[in-house]
Amino acid sequence: MSKKDLANVTADLSALASMMPTQRPNAIVTPTPAPLASEPPAVKVASAPKAKGKTAEPEPVSQFSLSLRRDLRKQLARLADDADMTMRAFVLNALKAQGLAVRDEDLLDLRKERA
Amino acid sequence: MSIIAIATTKGGAGKTTLARLILARAALGGLKAAAVDADFNRTLTDWVATAAKHPITVRHELDETKIVPLIGELHNWHDVVVVDTAGAASQATIFAIGCADLVLVPIAPSSADIVEAIKTVNLIKSAAQMLRRDVPHRVVLTAVQPGTNIAEHIEKEIAKAGLPVLATRLHRLVAFQEMSFTGVPPTTGIAGNQCTSFLNDIAALGGLPIAMKLAS
Repeated sequence: MSKKDLANVTADLSALASMMPTQRPNAIVTPTPAPLASEPPAVKVASAPKAKGKTAEPEPVSQFSLSLRRDLRKQLARLADDADMTMRAFVLNALKAQGLAVRDEDLLDLRKERA
Repeated sequence: MSIIAIATTKGGAGKTTLARLILARAALGGLKAAAVDADFNRTLTDWVATAAKHPITVRHELDETKIVPLIGELHNWHDVVVVDTAGAASQATIFAIGCADLVLVPIAPSSADIVEAIKTVNLIKSAAQMLRRDVPHRVVLTAVQPGTNIAEHIEKEIAKAGLPVLATRLHRLVAFQEMSFTGVPPTTGIAGNQCTSFLNDIAALGGLPIAMKLAS
């Protein structure tokens, strides 16, 4: 079988690749987002109860609810469906583009895990 | 002999279905087939492990620093290497495109699929410029429902965007869905004919050995 020279692929494409996210779990950089000066009025944030008696503390999770016009809510559902994503993942993905430190695991579709 | 990358930054477009079709039919035809699964979900890896009926070498690799050497290694000992990428832009996808003799960009019938296919094709063109060589690529229409308004609309949108399209359209057929459970690629009927036509298109573009014996 013929051998293909792939020696230069990494070097030639490294500049382009560096603009893309990595999939390496240990290379994901997760800077802490700057705190908001004030909460928008339509947003309610409630802390989740802390886990008891665990040796490895999971990162705290907070509930986040968002009030939208019904039409916007429908559009969001449709766009997320088109993208084969949950609405949560779709919103997080959009916020990621604005600089929010979203991790890959934040975008996991938990519906598939439950199925 | 040949390396086929399957890429689009949209999930659910049919990347793994195309990978399964190529790998299963190539293996059935007596070719040495290998796959690199660069998708976080490991769908192709699990399919090879649990369902595939013919010998297919598969490696799951997310690390972009390892993916080019891995493709090169598999390429040395197999007739065809298929790289199934994640449904999002990633460094591994760029390097897979850089290794490929042919890149296939699946499009299912949705607006988001077309948008992401355009982005992916632009990415392929950028990679080709940096590599200073042509990277042959085609979009592949999957889950087509012929005769519907949406199918017609998708065709028009793709033509308007100037995307190069593979001649064969893969319809939304039960046989393609069943393959995910049975591991048996369609060889007869409408699905079998579409699959054969699909592989012949790929062979004509240099993505598969011309001498490939397609089982029928």
